[in-house]
Amino acid sequence: MIFDIGHLILLAALVLAAFGILGGYFGGQQRNTRLIQSSFNAVYAVAALVLVATVILWYGLLSDAFQLSYVWNHSERALPTFYKFSALWGGQAGSLLFWCLLLSGYSAIVAFANRHRHQVMMPYVNSVLLATSLFFLTLLVFAADPFKRVGFVPPDGQGLNPLLQNYWMIIHPVMLYLGYVGMVVPFAFAVGALMSKRLDNEWVHTVRRWTLIPWMFLSAGIIMGSQWAYMELGWGGYWAWDPVENASFLPWLTGTAFLHSIIIQEQRGILKVWNVVLIWLTYFLVILGTFTTRSGVLESVHSFARSDVGPYFLGFLVIILFGFLWLLFDRLPLLRGEHTIDSYSSREAAFLANNWLFAGIAFATLWGTFFPMFSEILTGERISVAAPFFNKVNGPLFLLLLLLMGVAPLLGWRHTSLAAFRKQFTFPTLAALGVGVFVFVVARSLYPMIGLAICAFVVATIIQEYVRGVQARRSTTGENALVAIGNLWRRNGRRYGGYIVHIGIVLIGVAVIGNEFYQQSLSVTLATGESATVGRYQIVYNGMQTDRQANLMEFGAQLEAFHLDSGQQVAVVVPKRNIYDKAPDMPTSEVGLHMSPIEDVYVVLNGWDDGGASATFTIYINPLTMWMWVGGIVLVIGTLIAAWPNPVRRRNESVRALAYATGDD
Amino acid sequence: MLRIHQRLFFSLSLLALLFCLSGSVPSAKSQDSAVEPPATVTANEVKDVADELWCPLCSGVRLDACELKACEQMREVIADKLTAGEPKDDIKNYFVAQYGPQVLGEPPLEGFNWLAWLLPVAVMIGGGVFVWRRMRGMIASKTTEPPPSPAAANNEYYDRLEEELKRYD
Amino acid sequence: MTEATTSDRPPAAGADREQPASKRAVRIWQAVFVLILVGFVVLLALRLVQTNQSEQRAAGEAPSFTFTTFQGETIALEDLRGQGVVVNFWASWCNPCRDEAALLEAAWRREKENGIVFIGLDYLDQEPAAKAYLAEFDITYPSGPDLQSAAARRYGIKGVPETFFIDPQGNIQELVIGPIVSQNRLDELLDQIRP
Repeated sequence: MIFDIGHLILLAALVLAAFGILGGYFGGQQRNTRLIQSSFNAVYAVAALVLVATVILWYGLLSDAFQLSYVWNHSERALPTFYKFSALWGGQAGSLLFWCLLLSGYSAIVAFANRHRHQVMMPYVNSVLLATSLFFLTLLVFAADPFKRVGFVPPDGQGLNPLLQNYWMIIHPVMLYLGYVGMVVPFAFAVGALMSKRLDNEWVHTVRRWTLIPWMFLSAGIIMGSQWAYMELGWGGYWAWDPVENASFLPWLTGTAFLHSIIIQEQRGILKVWNVVLIWLTYFLVILGTFTTRSGVLESVHSFARSDVGPYFLGFLVIILFGFLWLLFDRLPLLRGEHTIDSYSSREAAFLANNWLFAGIAFATLWGTFFPMFSEILTGERISVAAPFFNKVNGPLFLLLLLLMGVAPLLGWRHTSLAAFRKQFTFPTLAALGVGVFVFVVARSLYPMIGLAICAFVVATIIQEYVRGVQARRSTTGENALVAIGNLWRRNGRRYGGYIVHIGIVLIGVAVIGNEFYQQSLSVTLATGESATVGRYQIVYNGMQTDRQANLMEFGAQLEAFHLDSGQQVAVVVPKRNIYDKAPDMPTSEVGLHMSPIEDVYVVLNGWDDGGASATFTIYINPLTMWMWVGGIVLVIGTLIAAWPNPVRRRNESVRALAYATGDD
Repeated sequence: MLRIHQRLFFSLSLLALLFCLSGSVPSAKSQDSAVEPPATVTANEVKDVADELWCPLCSGVRLDACELKACEQMREVIADKLTAGEPKDDIKNYFVAQYGPQVLGEPPLEGFNWLAWLLPVAVMIGGGVFVWRRMRGMIASKTTEPPPSPAAANNEYYDRLEEELKRYD
Repeated sequence: MTEATTSDRPPAAGADREQPASKRAVRIWQAVFVLILVGFVVLLALRLVQTNQSEQRAAGEAPSFTFTTFQGETIALEDLRGQGVVVNFWASWCNPCRDEAALLEAAWRREKENGIVFIGLDYLDQEPAAKAYLAEFDITYPSGPDLQSAAARRYGIKGVPETFFIDPQGNIQELVIGPIVSQNRLDELLDQIRP
């Protein structure tokens, strides 16, 4: 009964969204305040309705309503409560509903925050947001109904996919979706700006924070996904360039490019077309990624079962692609640059190079992801494009990007004089040389040397920037260093927070270099009491323990790691296998992990004999991996500093907004 | 009837896919066929070859990490061939002949697959040339603004910082 | 992609005399860009149609294939016209295949005099394990590796086991996804392809 209401609520939301789109469009065209107000109200109402529908599905999951096909397929009585809760995004229909919930939530916040600003643009922004909601509601109502009945009441559900029964799997999709869905907002503003012909910097100012926050979530989601892959999949790595991973990485790449290139538009009034194109690409890649992971177009281990949502997505993609291009081509004459670039050695030029690299990496990644599909359609041959391809193609580009990250802050807007150039480059170059020589002496290999030297260069640049920033403030205000840093963050968080983000990226880069070039591994079968030697460690197998959990049986191999030279115990490592009652032939692996700043001891349990008398392991020593997670945290902190509202600027913005509101319209 | 079969089968094949990730069933059956190469070949030598091959049944899973039964059997084949003294490249070629280029994890350098490698390079070069020419055009035509003041290099940084800070105030 | 999109940027101030030429260039770039996107969408659509096509595979002319059995005998499907052909895709690592192996072999022994041929195509399998499997179930009908999954791709199989029933005229009459476990069901299917 209540679930039928759930379906009706979604239907009502769909109708309201359609109404709101029209209200926004015609309200914007005719400057009809009542219609515009209706579009705002529609945004709020859709958000409320979708929230109610989600709560109903949650209620179904928590109350074991197995008459619902979704609950039956993705839950079971013995499932721990928090997994019942997270089962909402464990399957096709539920995750689409979750998408829709986040989208309508974002829309409502955006609409509310801007209810008195951008009065010419907002009706169109509402329309675009609602149009995206409308699409997902269409899917939910017609193609993937989360409230579909089984036809009888099964006594128990079939259980949640064991791979998803992991705490990272509760939080990681939420982060990823928050990032993914949030990218709809800047796109909506870009379209709003094009439709209302307000193509100055207004929308760019507004959109910056609305891009930074989803960007932060997307970054965190991607890193958490790597963490999950690292801990659960047990192949010694964190990133496989799998189509689903790429689907989340692509909008990150274009979104990052956008975050950088809007800075030039704000400062110099150029690249206007490129910026709307970038945010459109980001939005397109978000929808494309959602499509490919759900339609079986690119087979991937993470894909949801294929279903009939494919054609809907394709139709929507066509609308996004050609609708937007039509609008863009129509508005081209309004998108003239206001200034030019003065010199190659200017920060504008560095930003252009940054965009060139990001766009190139995004293209190569997109191309590699879809190449197997092209190949199979056009030649009939099945090809796999995996890590070796992406590492070879993207690796050098990432290295260039890293280098640029070090160079760009040293360049001034418009032009950098030779003297300044020399002065700026001395310290970072020395740092890079020092680290490079050190790495070469210790490790005697070329690529890690280049990579780590560049990392050192970037860090040195950032330190230099901070030192100079602090000195500048101290010489004018006389405040102490800590206060000065605080003020730099507060008054120019964009820049000095951005540097913190860069530090996070460098840390991630260091971890990647360590893993890529210095990983050691060993496959070995050990009887109880036997040991194996890997790298600097001796690892002893002490037998198997079994443990009964609510809906699974846990088999853990007890291992101890000792330092080879000192004989000191480093850690107890327990790699596990979980065998689920509802999916006994689909055991999951949990690696045994000892993390340390220098290297991780990472053990996978592959199998065992005679109740654990002997067992087979793959042991990896992964250098510097911990810095990837530290880098992720640093990146989030940096983004928060960059996105934190600046009290002074805020006042100016509201003054400006007021001017717009009461201005020429 | 057909539909029921399909559903059943579909879950089977999905299962197979997930297998690739989650590892073998630690049941008696799989232990028999667990990586137990002949005495002369160590698990590590097998892993060395398997590291460069990709599971043909999954997407993006390396053969040494995949614990599908098919992959276990492939590793056994590798062990047999290593015991027979075959070099690594011959073994890889054997698998390509058996299962096609998808076991390589990257497009082989032949025919249509050249496109996979060349297009990104072409786009990077084309894009780079385009951006550079655009920039050159812009620099050549700069007349709209006075050149930056020839302030002493020492002060340039402070000026810039202050200018930027002011912009936000 | 990069060049196509950035080229939409109008020319910088001061480049006025280039206007007509660059306007045409912009148009051309726009057209190229749109065409690339159209191509991409068309390929996606094609692929979508392919992935949803499994229902239609149980009809029409059977795609041809040639394979070499584990005993070294080469067999082409065309040479079997006039007989009913049962093409079974299997693999030694496939557990459901084991449920039907004995039934298929028994049917072959019973029906081979009645103009029905069984063929086993071994999908992504390993030779030692495959031979052990054939020995275990004492399979005598021709069976061999489907090299580079050539036949599997032409038949669009989604996994193993899948069994195609081809009539003497070379048309697919029936397709069974998953194991055939009932004798009656198998007899019904065979009746459809008897010569």
